[in-house]
Amino acid sequence: MAQSALVREARNSSLAMAGVDASKAQLPDAPVPVGSDEQQQQQPPQQQTNPPQQNEPTLGDLGISASQTQGSARQQALLDKRTHMLKVHQTLGLITAIPMAAALITGPQAKAKGRNGETITEPSQANLDFHIALGGLTTGMYAATAYYAAFAPKVPGVKKKGAIRVHEALIWVHGPGMVLTPVLGIIAYKQENAGERVHGIASAHGAVAEITAAAYGASLIAVSWPIHLKF
Amino acid sequence: MKRRLSLGLALTVVSVMASALAFAQGDAQWALEKSTLTYHMSHPVHKVDGVSAAAKGKGICHGGECNFLIAAPVKSFDSGDTNRDLHMVEAVRGAQYPMVVVRAKFPAADTASPTVYADLEVQFAGQTAHYAHVAFQRTTEAGETHITGTIQATCSDFKIDRPSFLTVPIKNEIPISVDMTWKPM
Repeated sequence: MAQSALVREARNSSLAMAGVDASKAQLPDAPVPVGSDEQQQQQPPQQQTNPPQQNEPTLGDLGISASQTQGSARQQALLDKRTHMLKVHQTLGLITAIPMAAALITGPQAKAKGRNGETITEPSQANLDFHIALGGLTTGMYAATAYYAAFAPKVPGVKKKGAIRVHEALIWVHGPGMVLTPVLGIIAYKQENAGERVHGIASAHGAVAEITAAAYGASLIAVSWPIHLKF
Repeated sequence: MKRRLSLGLALTVVSVMASALAFAQGDAQWALEKSTLTYHMSHPVHKVDGVSAAAKGKGICHGGECNFLIAAPVKSFDSGDTNRDLHMVEAVRGAQYPMVVVRAKFPAADTASPTVYADLEVQFAGQTAHYAHVAFQRTTEAGETHITGTIQATCSDFKIDRPSFLTVPIKNEIPISVDMTWKPM
């Protein structure tokens, strides 16, 4: 596939040097289009190598040079890689929301209050372990999701606008939150393990987790905005 | 005096009629003054319009036949979200085939009516598709000819792998709305 693109590009370059209209020369064999509207039936495709007739305008008449019509297989490969990485980012991001939500739900149950309200000193309790496992899974998946966004190729000269700006701005909330939440969780776990009531900065673990999850959810919605449900 | 007035009136009528019919019948050349090309993309949770005002065009009517050429850079289509626009350029192989080129052909004699039926050849995404007998509405005002219409294009016409969101692909139909103003050269 890539080889054929390179061959096509090389052919276009040689044609351009020979003074052939690149807009026509660079086109590959035409496809057989699929039928559509009754009023707009498509005819069998034709090769695009015929020179324009005298009464047909050319791209040169429009002030469009051969270099403007010349494609770049390298640039296309960069875009393909970018799209692939962002698709993985999207999929991982959606999947990450599942353990994140589950960790939020199991969080209050993992506070391990005893029957009479006293702190339980045994961290082996199943719901606490489960909460820790969910938190760990969420952190790992979040890191993988972030990797695919951060290392997707950037397209130079593009000034970002639209929903993507909100999506990216929210990183400044859920990013630090995803670092802070497990750290505070570990501190809280150690305090409980030592038979202490959770105190100090560790007591903010739940609140930080909730803010992080809210920002993460908002980020998911922002990149999908505007939503027009119509099935 | 009366004869001169009659002659002047006749010349005026003839020149007005000539300019009105110039787009339709005479040998003439036309330049695209301004235009908006809009693609419409549909998805169960999204509706997107991408607009380009960067098209260039020229038309030649000669020997009873009109040939028009319109070209626009693929990357000039703006949907209001750069992330989506870059994805669109990738999906339609816009870096490899940076221009969308439309050639329209119609008999000059058939264009006196307010509706012009043109045969189109569209080069896009490295493919060429033909659309026969596409209807465009034509109005003329102050020496400018205004053309509007819709090309019922589909992703499969150009072998475009439909982008998906939440694992659901966009609709195959991507109608292109055309709004152009032409001036005689």
